[in-house]
Amino acid sequence: MKVSKRVPLVVAAVIVAITAAHPAQLPAQTAATKSFYASNNSPAAQWSVQVNKVDPGEVSLEPSFQIAIYEGLLEELSKTKRFKQVLRDGDRNAADVSDLLILRTTVQKYTAGSETQRAVTTVSGATKLTVRSQLCTRDNQIILDRTVNGNVRFLGGNLRATHNLARNIAKTIKDSALQEPSPSRP
Amino acid sequence: MNRTAVQRGCRQPASLSISRSALACLMLFIWPSATAFAQNDGRAENVTAPLGIRATHILGFASAKNNANGRLSTQDDALQFQANGRPAVQVKIASIQDVFLGEQSKQVGGVPMTLGKTAAPFGGGRVVSLFAHKKYDTLALEYVDSNGGVHGAVFQLNKGQGEVLRNELLARGAHVSRSADEPTKQSTGEVTSESK
Repeated sequence: MKVSKRVPLVVAAVIVAITAAHPAQLPAQTAATKSFYASNNSPAAQWSVQVNKVDPGEVSLEPSFQIAIYEGLLEELSKTKRFKQVLRDGDRNAADVSDLLILRTTVQKYTAGSETQRAVTTVSGATKLTVRSQLCTRDNQIILDRTVNGNVRFLGGNLRATHNLARNIAKTIKDSALQEPSPSRP
Repeated sequence: MNRTAVQRGCRQPASLSISRSALACLMLFIWPSATAFAQNDGRAENVTAPLGIRATHILGFASAKNNANGRLSTQDDALQFQANGRPAVQVKIASIQDVFLGEQSKQVGGVPMTLGKTAAPFGGGRVVSLFAHKKYDTLALEYVDSNGGVHGAVFQLNKGQGEVLRNELLARGAHVSRSADEPTKQSTGEVTSESK
């Protein structure tokens, strides 16, 4: 009788012990998986990128918007950790970088919205930006060519559209498969 | 009656003459010191006095935090921004390649005001939004670092302050391209521009 009473207690103790041990293992497994995928991203991580100033094209875009897109791109591309280095336009260090991509951004369409109009009507007054983003090599070979949008429809100032746009461009680049840099490339 | 009137008439010139002479003496003392003060003030204005303007740093200026309120000033050959309660960061004025002026209208009150407007019944918040906006100047700068890398910074200033700061920067040696000479104005309505 005494033995039969102890068996359920032992089983329960084992179950509790196993349950307590598993949550500790799960995060460890996730971390291991993440690091595996990160190491698999190594071909793209070998590229460095130089962000060119935003070309307004034929669109009359405010200089503050151009600057905000440029600075936003530098910040968001650094956050992706997809590139070895993120360099600014005109940076002399780019000359020494072997596998360099150049990011060109040309504005295609711009709708100047109004924060007040958005606050009053909700449905109108959106600030919209459409740009063409191209990733090129030094010898002008286009590796990636995408049209990306960024807009602000409800809350926030007009400059928020530039932040959203930069984030979308960085996400597009992060999600796309870039070809491996060739070893012979200078 | 006449006697008293005459007596009063005789007394008045005497008191007046005394007070006039006292006033003249006082003026003699005050005038030189006042002119000296005025001269000193003039000298102080003529010397390159540091200019300080309240500004909000939107993005990009050295290591300053985004959307930080502070004071934008010129110190010798540098443009300096000091956020409230933080150390100042600065950029050499000679490294500034372009200065652009702009104008924009923003809703005032920030997040608390937005939440309040959203919670207001019968669309009262929308009516408030009609009047709760303010015009600001935006000052956009392009400058280069020691490696030649281009940086951009955007500040938001009270209306009219942007022109003052731009002129100050020009006087101290900042470069401005021809395209940056005219301030750009952000339209309040929806205007679409497209390049084909």
